Amino acid sequence: MVPDPPGTEAFDPALEGVHLILFWLALAAYGAEAGFRIGGVAPSTPWKSPLAAGVALHALFLALRWHLSGHAPMAGLFESLTVFSFCCALAGLLLCRGEETAAAWVPLSVLVLLPQAGAALIDKRLTPLYPALDTPWFATHVGFSFLGYGFFAAGLALGAVYLRSGGDANYRAAGQSALYGFSAFSAGMVCGGIWAYYAWGSYWIWTPKEIWSVIVWIYFAALTHLKFIPAQDGWPGWTKRLEMGATAAGYVVMLLTFLGVSLLLRSSHTF
Amino acid sequence: MALWRFLTSLKTCAWLGLAFCIAGAAGSVAMGRYPELFADMDAQVFAGWFARKGTADPGPTLWLYGLLLSTGLLAVNAACCTAERLVQIFRGTVTLRRLLPHAMHLAFLGVVLSHLASALYGDRIPGVAVPQGGFARVGGTGWVLRLDRFDSVMAPEGYPKDFSATVTLYRDTTPVARGVVRTNEPLFHEGYGIYIRNFGSTPWGAPYAVFDANRDPGATAILVASLLFTAANLLYLYPSRRTDA
Repeated sequence: MVPDPPGTEAFDPALEGVHLILFWLALAAYGAEAGFRIGGVAPSTPWKSPLAAGVALHALFLALRWHLSGHAPMAGLFESLTVFSFCCALAGLLLCRGEETAAAWVPLSVLVLLPQAGAALIDKRLTPLYPALDTPWFATHVGFSFLGYGFFAAGLALGAVYLRSGGDANYRAAGQSALYGFSAFSAGMVCGGIWAYYAWGSYWIWTPKEIWSVIVWIYFAALTHLKFIPAQDGWPGWTKRLEMGATAAGYVVMLLTFLGVSLLLRSSHTF
Repeated sequence: MALWRFLTSLKTCAWLGLAFCIAGAAGSVAMGRYPELFADMDAQVFAGWFARKGTADPGPTLWLYGLLLSTGLLAVNAACCTAERLVQIFRGTVTLRRLLPHAMHLAFLGVVLSHLASALYGDRIPGVAVPQGGFARVGGTGWVLRLDRFDSVMAPEGYPKDFSATVTLYRDTTPVARGVVRTNEPLFHEGYGIYIRNFGSTPWGAPYAVFDANRDPGATAILVASLLFTAANLLYLYPSRRTDA
């Protein structure tokens, strides 16, 4: 007989309760951050903010859920949304550390809050993994992809702030968001290709999700090239504003890939 | 010269990227709208599928032409850009940082060309069904697959928690490979991977398993190119100055 896969044992109800409390506390911290930011109250540094506390609580929640379920907490819509929220917060803390980029925290705090709030509405039960997901490539593929998504969310906030009020620091940080996001997403695609080769018999299968993943990759690959077009090179007149617009729009492309395709089209990645 | 400028231009790269995105987005919708046309795309290698269905109904497959054309031109664009810049770099100051973007371009080319090799010379043998203790031919490989033993663990909810098949591969009557196949753990032999796809019970109660046998001759090269891309990408992130590509 084959051994029982991890995650099928009875879950400790006390720890299960604690991990859910951590989830709600992280949500409350993100909500406080968004509320303060929208209300014009900004902490002296992002590290002394409700969001930083939320990230710490969120990390504990994810670690405990990983321990309880025996697998990376990235399966299903609930775990996907909460990991997405965590990665958005993490990317924000990495890119928006200075005073010059503080304005980006207004939209970014909302972008962190929304997926966590969405996750709060979904069934949070711990479930074992399906056999195909029971591999280290699952965690690396999904983890790197969500890290990329987090950077793309930071890109939306930074790009939008640059379009509204300019600022070299915002421009630089938005450029970094595209480059870091593209790098993380590329690593996720490599891991996904290796996983697919072992699980489904080929590194590539023709489904809408795979096609959209390559669309995201090509989009951000092109975006990271465009800043090298000389400003005087004429039509299409690639300017910083257009570049920032495309960086912000990248979030929509990513969201269509993450949620749009999974929820609207038939795919191997359907939730 | 005008053609060379076009092929090495960053603007060409941008427009081709946009064309790829539009074609891919259209394709993702078309795939859902015409399942009778696209459902079996993975049941054989792409070249075989495209020769059979790519021209049968040009409307719903138009996006594929756009996708192939933009991918091919993006590869040519990357190759020409790198060829031109490498000449400039080696005439001036050669630094690792200046070479890294072109290492990524070459890796991208490696992936595209290797995938082309898989799409042309690969093989797909889907749906090899074998009852426990029985034999089945594996397409045109000359092999016969025997399912020695099948094990499964089902959850109370009815879905499979784990399943595995102990199989032996024969050529004529000589065993050439033996192993346990389970999800994420195929059996590899002479470039083919034997994957467990499904399982069930025969009318007389014996378990059976369904296997796919796939061959992707470009897979190893794609892995090497992808690792090269990732390594160059990581090195490029540190330090993050992007003014000398």
